[in-house]
Amino acid sequence: MIYLDNAATTRPDRGCLEEAQQFIYQNYYNPSALYAEGYNLHIMLKQARANILSLIADDNYEVIFTSCGTEADNHALFCGGRRGNVVTTMGEHAAVFSAAAELKQLGIEVRLAPLRSDGGVDEDELIRLVDDKTSLVSVIHVNNETGAVNDVNAIAKRVKAKNPRTLFHSDGVQAFGKIPFKLSENIDLYSTSSHKIGGMKGTGALFKRKKLVLKPFIFGGGQENGMRSGTENVFGIKMFELAALKHYGKLRENFCNAKELSYKLWSLLDKQLFVRISPENGSPYILTVGAKGVRGETILHEADDRGLIIGTGSACSSNNKKRYSRVILACGVGEEVADGILRLSLGSETCESDVVQAAAILNSVVKNRREMMS
Amino acid sequence: MEKVIIIRYCELYLKGKNRGYFERLFAVNIERSLKGIRHELRRKSGRYLIEGFEEDDVDRILSKLCKVFGIHTLSVAYKVSSDFDNIYAAARLVAPLCGTFKVETHRADKSFPMNSMQLSAAIGGRLLDDVKSLSVDVHSPEHVVNIDVREDGTSLVFGSFIKGAGGMPVGSAGKGLLLISGGIDSPVAGHMIAKRGMSLDCVHFHSYPYTNMQAKEKVIDLAKILSEYACGMNLHVIKVTHIQEEIHKKCNGEYMVTLLRRFMMRIAEKIAESCGAQCIITGESLGQVASQTIEGMTSSNAVIERLPVLRPLCGFDKNEIIERSKDIGTYDISILPYEDCCTVFLPKHPVTRPKMEDVLSEEAKLDVQALVAEALSTLEIIKF
Repeated sequence: MIYLDNAATTRPDRGCLEEAQQFIYQNYYNPSALYAEGYNLHIMLKQARANILSLIADDNYEVIFTSCGTEADNHALFCGGRRGNVVTTMGEHAAVFSAAAELKQLGIEVRLAPLRSDGGVDEDELIRLVDDKTSLVSVIHVNNETGAVNDVNAIAKRVKAKNPRTLFHSDGVQAFGKIPFKLSENIDLYSTSSHKIGGMKGTGALFKRKKLVLKPFIFGGGQENGMRSGTENVFGIKMFELAALKHYGKLRENFCNAKELSYKLWSLLDKQLFVRISPENGSPYILTVGAKGVRGETILHEADDRGLIIGTGSACSSNNKKRYSRVILACGVGEEVADGILRLSLGSETCESDVVQAAAILNSVVKNRREMMS
Repeated sequence: MEKVIIIRYCELYLKGKNRGYFERLFAVNIERSLKGIRHELRRKSGRYLIEGFEEDDVDRILSKLCKVFGIHTLSVAYKVSSDFDNIYAAARLVAPLCGTFKVETHRADKSFPMNSMQLSAAIGGRLLDDVKSLSVDVHSPEHVVNIDVREDGTSLVFGSFIKGAGGMPVGSAGKGLLLISGGIDSPVAGHMIAKRGMSLDCVHFHSYPYTNMQAKEKVIDLAKILSEYACGMNLHVIKVTHIQEEIHKKCNGEYMVTLLRRFMMRIAEKIAESCGAQCIITGESLGQVASQTIEGMTSSNAVIERLPVLRPLCGFDKNEIIERSKDIGTYDISILPYEDCCTVFLPKHPVTRPKMEDVLSEEAKLDVQALVAEALSTLEIIKF
C-alpha cells in the first residue's frame, strides 16, 4: 500500500515508539504526584518541553501541551481574541475558521483576508483589515489544502508595526518538523501537532511568548503552569519530543528529499488530465492537483482499490456538507476543477518508487474515469 | 410490592379460530425484543404481563416494547395481594401529588368483599384524606388511578396508559422486500408495511466508487433501526455502477433514472424470489421527484413479472413522511449528506413522463440480462 496522505496523519515512528513505550506500562505514574516515581516523570516532561521548544524558539517562549492542534488553535482564538475584532484568512484550517465563526456568534467582529491565486494570504489586504481595535490576527503557516506557505514572521512584523497590542497567532501544524523556520519575537502564539510528524494522535502544543498574559482554555488541577489543566499525556508528549527531535535532526535532508519527490510526482502526472493547484514555491510535502471533470472522491476510492491512499482536500472537512473546498475556491479555482481536487502529501517515509507508482495509478484511474464519464 | 408491565394488544381479538397463531407470534416477537433483559412473560386473559425484571430495567423494557407491532397500550403497574390496605398502599404510589383524579376499579374476582364502586369510593376517599392537594373530578380528571382486582387473589394498580406501536404482529402477514435508498422515504414505507404484520428484507443499490462507504454505512444504520421494528431482517447490497456506466455510455442521458429504476426492479424481483419475499415495497410518493410520476411508475412496474409492488407512501406529502420518519427515529440518519446511487450521473433534465416505446428503444441498446446477472453477482448480505 502506498500512503500519500501524510498531511492527514503519519505512521508513528517505530524507533520513537520503542523508546517511549516504557511510559505506557512501566512509568505510568501521575507526573503531579509527590513520590519519586511521579516526580521523575515531572522532570522528564520538563526536559521534553525544553527540547521541543529549542527546535523553533528561544527562551522567550514556553510550550503548553494540548490534546491536539485544534485545541491549541481554539485556545489561541478564544483566549486571545476576546474583544474588538479578529482578523484571519480565507485559507485557515477549520480549527481556526470554525472557532472564528463561533467568536462572531459571541459578538466579536471577524474580518477575513482573501487569498492570492497561489493560496497564500493577500498580505496587503490583511494589514489593511488590522486597526486599533484588532485583538488578534491568525494566519496559517502552511496551508493544509494547497501547501502554500505564508511568511508569518514578516506578516507578524507588519501587524505589530500597525498595532503593537494586537496578538499574532499562527497555525503551524503542517509546518512544524517539515519546513525550516524559527519563531521571531513578533509571533505570540504558534500551534503544532505531533501526529503529523510520526508522533501519536492526541498530542499537540501551543508555543506561547512567555511575557504574554493569556487565560487558560481548560481549567482544573493547574497542570502546564495552570494554562492547560488535565493529567499530562506522558507517553504522547514523549513521542512528540522524540519524533520532533528526529525530524529536526534531518530537517534539511527531508526537505530536499520531499522537494525532489514532489517535483518527480508532478512531472510524471499527465498534464492532459491534471492541473496543478499547489504553488511551485509551497511546502514540498503537499502537492494538490485538480482532475478536471472527475470527482475527487471517485478517484480516491478507485486509487484506494488499486493500493494508493490519497486525500481529497483536508480529511477533517471531507464529511462536510459543502461539496467544494472553501480554501480551493478562495484561490480562484473554478467549480469544475474544484470538484476533482486531490491532495497528495508526502512524509519522511515516502520514497521514489512510491511516487512513480502513484503517478501511474492516478494517470490510469483518471483517464479511464474521464472516458467513462464523457 | 412488585412492579409489572401490562401489555394490551390491538386487533388480535378480532381474530377467530386462528387467534392462537397470532398470539403465539406476538409472544415470540415480544420475547425477541427483550432478549438479554431478565424478565418473564405471562399470558393472562386478554393481555400479557411482564414480571420478574429488575426495577432499573423498566425504561429499557418500555422503549423496546414501544417498537413491537401489535401492542395497543402498555402500563407499569404495582402487583399486590387483593387486600384493601395493600391496594391502598399501591394506589398511594400511583396517585399524583396534586390536581384532580378519580379511581376506576375493574373487579374480576367477585369474592372480593367490596364491589368496584365501593372500592373506588373507599380508595378515593382515603387518598383525599391523606393528600390534601388532591381533588376529585369523575368527569374529566387529570389523573386516573386504575385498580384491577383479579381472580388469582392479586390486584394490579396503575396510572397511565402508554401508547404502543399498534398494528399486527410482524410475521403474520408474509414477507416483503423493501428498496432502501438512504433517503427519508424508504424507511417510512418499510415501517408502515411492517406495522401491518409483514416481515421485511431490504435491498440497497450503491455505485462505488462514485458513492462512498459512508453512504452504505448510513443505509446499514437505517436498516438497523428498521430491523428493531421488523423483528430482524437481512439487508441485500448490490453494486449497480456498471449498469449506470453502460446507460451513460450508450443511452440518452435523460433516461438514466428511468432505466436504472427498471434495472433495480428486475434485480429486486430476483432477490425477492431468492429470499422468499412475496412483494416489493418502495418509498415512492406520487409526483415527488421526476421518476415518481405515474408514467415513471408504469415504466418501472412493467418489468416486474410476478410480484405486486406496494407503494404505501403514494398519497403522502413530504412533510407527512418527514414527521413519520422523526417518530420512527430514522430522520436524523436519513438527512446525512452522503449521496446514493441515483444522484450520480444525474441528468440536468430527467424525463418526467417517459413514453414506453422510447424507454424500450433506449433499453434495447443494453444487454439487460447480462447486466442484471452481473449486478446480482455483487450481492452482499448483512444480517440484523
